[in-house]
Amino acid sequence: MALHLKQLNIFKDGSLMLSLDATVNKGEVLSVMGPSGSGKSTLLQAIAGHLATPFSMTGKILIDNQSIDDKPPHLRGIGIMFQDALLFEHMTVEQNIIFAMPKTKRYSVSKKRESVSNMLEAVGLEGMQNRAVTTLSGGQQARISLLRSLAAEPRAVLLDEPFSKLDTALRDQIRTWTLEQLRCRGIPALLVTHDSDDAVAAGGQTFELLPC
Amino acid sequence: MIGYSNYFYRVTILARWLLLILLTVPVLAGVVGVVLPAFGYFPAIGANAVSMDVFARLFALDDAAEMIALSLTTGAASTLIACLCAFSLLAVFYRTRVLSWLQGLFSPFLVLPHAAASISLLFLLSPSGFFARLFTFDSDAIPSSSQSYFLFDELGLGIVLALIVKEVPFILLMALSVMSQPLIKEKINGYFNVGVSLGYSSISVFFKLILPVLYPQIRLPLLAVLVFAVSNVEIPLILGPNNPSTLAVAVLHWFNHIDLSMRLMASAAAVVQVGVAAVAIGLVILIENILAWLGERSWLSGKRTFGDDGLKLLSLFVVAGYAVLVAGTLFNLVLFSVAQHWPFPQVLPSGLTVLHWQSVLEAALEPIINTLILGGMVSLTALVLVLLALENEVLGSFNRAPDKAHSYQSNAGALLNIALFLPLLVPGVAFLYGLVWFQQIALKNAVWFHVYIAHIVYVMPYVFLSLAIAYRKLDSRYAMVAQSLGKSPIRVFLSIKLPLLAGPIMVAFALGLAISFSQYLPTLLATGGAISTVTTEAVAAASGSSMRLSAAYVIIQAVLPLVGFLLAWWLPGVLFTPRKVQINNKTTSPQPFRGS
Amino acid sequence: MRLHAWGGSAQVNSYLQWVAQQVESKYGIRLQHVKLADTSDAVSRVLAEKAAGNNSNGSVDLIWINGENFAAMKKHGLLVQNWVNDIDNFALTNPEDNPAMITDFGEPTEGMEAPWGKASMVFYYRKTHLEKLNLTVPKNIHELMQFAQQAPGRFTYPVPTDYLGISFVKYVAIALNQAQSELFYAPVTPSALSQITPALWQYLDQLHPNLWQKGEYFVRQASKLQRMVGSGELSLAFSFTAAEIPSAVERFDLPLDIRTYSMSDGSLANVHFIGLTFNSANKAEAKAVVNFLLSPEAQAKKQRVQVWGDDTVLAMSKLSQAEQALFSTTQSHPSALDKTQSTLLFAEPHTSWTDALRQAWEERYGARY
Repeated sequence: MALHLKQLNIFKDGSLMLSLDATVNKGEVLSVMGPSGSGKSTLLQAIAGHLATPFSMTGKILIDNQSIDDKPPHLRGIGIMFQDALLFEHMTVEQNIIFAMPKTKRYSVSKKRESVSNMLEAVGLEGMQNRAVTTLSGGQQARISLLRSLAAEPRAVLLDEPFSKLDTALRDQIRTWTLEQLRCRGIPALLVTHDSDDAVAAGGQTFELLPC
Repeated sequence: MIGYSNYFYRVTILARWLLLILLTVPVLAGVVGVVLPAFGYFPAIGANAVSMDVFARLFALDDAAEMIALSLTTGAASTLIACLCAFSLLAVFYRTRVLSWLQGLFSPFLVLPHAAASISLLFLLSPSGFFARLFTFDSDAIPSSSQSYFLFDELGLGIVLALIVKEVPFILLMALSVMSQPLIKEKINGYFNVGVSLGYSSISVFFKLILPVLYPQIRLPLLAVLVFAVSNVEIPLILGPNNPSTLAVAVLHWFNHIDLSMRLMASAAAVVQVGVAAVAIGLVILIENILAWLGERSWLSGKRTFGDDGLKLLSLFVVAGYAVLVAGTLFNLVLFSVAQHWPFPQVLPSGLTVLHWQSVLEAALEPIINTLILGGMVSLTALVLVLLALENEVLGSFNRAPDKAHSYQSNAGALLNIALFLPLLVPGVAFLYGLVWFQQIALKNAVWFHVYIAHIVYVMPYVFLSLAIAYRKLDSRYAMVAQSLGKSPIRVFLSIKLPLLAGPIMVAFALGLAISFSQYLPTLLATGGAISTVTTEAVAAASGSSMRLSAAYVIIQAVLPLVGFLLAWWLPGVLFTPRKVQINNKTTSPQPFRGS
Repeated sequence: MRLHAWGGSAQVNSYLQWVAQQVESKYGIRLQHVKLADTSDAVSRVLAEKAAGNNSNGSVDLIWINGENFAAMKKHGLLVQNWVNDIDNFALTNPEDNPAMITDFGEPTEGMEAPWGKASMVFYYRKTHLEKLNLTVPKNIHELMQFAQQAPGRFTYPVPTDYLGISFVKYVAIALNQAQSELFYAPVTPSALSQITPALWQYLDQLHPNLWQKGEYFVRQASKLQRMVGSGELSLAFSFTAAEIPSAVERFDLPLDIRTYSMSDGSLANVHFIGLTFNSANKAEAKAVVNFLLSPEAQAKKQRVQVWGDDTVLAMSKLSQAEQALFSTTQSHPSALDKTQSTLLFAEPHTSWTDALRQAWEERYGARY
């Protein structure tokens, strides 16, 4: 699995905002750094398929050499994570994760439950299946949020400053753990951040955006 | 360019157009039926000449200017005072739990139809009313015969009072629904912390920092309130002067005049009424600009307070006023509906009886069922169309080429805003009569259909205005996350957006019910009386001679929508809060969270 | 089958419910009482239907009218002509010898409407108020002025667009112009109007400052008068249905100290009717309902004070002994009108006077929408 951004140009109201040409290989993380307003989030929206007025783009986005430009967001297989966990508050922890699992014949509901239970156990949240998400701490929510993204079996993951809201002690722990999970599964990831510690921890290529 | 199309997107486009058509076609058809007679064309009575004569006759009336002035001053004054009261309540209480308690206190007047609210005020304020009874200590006294200053007075103070009483809860509801949106809430909390740390009092933070964020979001509903205040009929009819009355009352009077040629005058006055509403809007925009200018100066002044003591006093006064009104109204209505003789100045009736309720319930069962069926159908339609149209706004922005998308959004948005305000800007008496004319030409037997359309026209704008704020403010990242998990737009709409918006959706539905329940003229005119609702029965009873039957009907009118709102507040919590105990036998310990 | 009728009176409404049950069980006709706040709403509707070319499937079948609403419907051809003679029981009203049955406010009915009931104007007052204020009961138009001057704010009348309001103006006009009363029974002319108005204006000019709210505000509906007497804001009022007074006391809407009487200088009297619309789809059923309304059984029930108390239009001479017995009642109520006293009646002036007097009033005192 690899994510290719081929001569990607993003325009705002017709004028060039940023250009990027990069390949992110299986298990690698590309860090994109830049101050606010430099178009970091717009880049992620372009890749995820959420680009809306007044933005537009040229170039190609490929996963495993297949173009995904013409696919609607939900068929691109690209996971996205924000600085907020954005867990669905009307669902329990378990429902959040199962909601994300692909609809295939492979899993029965009980299989899915079992797999959620294993996932939770692996991250030290065993027995939390039926908790309301609003009762979780910030660190717990961040972990559930990543589990939910992974449960969808994405072909690439976009991270939009995912650690910036966590306090320092927790940030290192969650960051290490998140990057570890992505690497283990061999998922290419694009990390947008303004924190150089994030880029260092990610250990991959770094791309600096200049303010407009 | 990420162009893709699917069924769901097409459905939302269809819904958007259907919504536009339902809002505009009945009103425009009705307007044609009013504008033609206003210019002297009304073949049914043999008037064929098109001219300005009717307007000339209207403005030649002695009290035309007075009527217009009365409409304008009562409408504008009440809206401005109601805004002041609502904003000062928000400023004083926005960081406290008092607000949710206030919502409870205000709910009776929020849900009470305007006619019913006016009748209740009349019950309290008249010289033989409850307040007079409380303060009369001579047990042989007879009610005062001196002129009262809040009822039927020339300045329309009674109208202003009743409008304020109805408007403050509505403005508060609108403001709170904006303020409860996560993004706005976060912003408000942030501004509050910053403002206070800079030494500004919490009231001045509200007016200098928070109101500028809040106001643009509630501006449209506020203008709707203003237009309604200027052109409504029920309140001035019950509490206003008649030497002369407001213009809207004159319109109604001329439409119902036995001399059918007065229809021409009525139509011309209805056209003028639209102008009066426009002038009122202009006036308020002027005041907005002055206040905005003053507001900017107040940022520079550096003053850390904002009339804090005065506003606190005003809010306490408003809260106390409502507490007294609500308690007095409840006490009075309930007792009147079961009272035997109740001589002045006793505060309790001489005995109780179920006679009045027997008469009312015998007659009201069918109307109650009609009211519920009609309200349910109308609100459900409005809700579905509004939700799909709002989703179309979101999908539409991804589904167009950028250059086209921009103009499409702004054109469609502008069109929709005009369409939403059409039914609120044209006095009901005017376009409804024109509408009946057309309904007689097409499908004259489809009575339920006609009344359904007439109600939709009024219900749709409120459902839209109340839901649009919440919908547009919903954190769009929830939808992005859900799509990134592989869920299609329709799945995201159904499984994520609707449940997250369950609260606002239920409130909008209840509001739709309440608006439908309270329609009098649309129901009467569109059905020709063939379908009676609680409100048509109540107004007929209000024109009757029994205060006791009126009281019973007012109670029914209050209880029906109140039940709707209570369900709206209670149901989302029950339906969309995940339960702790699961179907699986693998249950979790329901212990409180201890941190990780 | 729809009967459009004013729905503001509980007694009338429950009487019509009884009628609906009767015609359902007797003839299998489903009768719906469409309750109107204002009868002209229904007139407007029929006119709108005519304008839209709906000539055979109207939403109004029968309509309860008289006076101006009838004149308007007659003028615009909204009623069926000469259907009344098809009604068997219409003969019981003795129309040949009783012109009141075929004349509505001086306007010939031309068989467009059937008489249903009749009424005359009565006054009623709060006995305890008069005792407390040391007033005597005003028995004629001049005593009424004295009453108003001695107790300002305790009497009023509705706007002349209201039926009872214009009736009061007519009463004052006739009572003050008894010497030339023949003027009222011919179509109004400018000169006739100018002969009767001086006395009328002089009286009203003097009366108005002493009315409730100093005459600045006039109530829009007659029913408000009864409410305000009930609540005690007024001490004196008047009505066209004497029987509604004691029954309102029974229903607690008026207090126990209410007394009813007729003015000694004369009371305005009139008949009210049921009209059949030109575009009714149910004309045969409508006629059957009207025939029932005019039956001795239905008329006798209507006249009972506990039911409605509306005087019958049937001529007793046309009824059998058994039928006459249905109408005899002995019961009396302290608040009811003493019917043993004979009363002087004024017939309604010609219908053209209604508009003329109202317009003149509105020109002088404002239109009072």
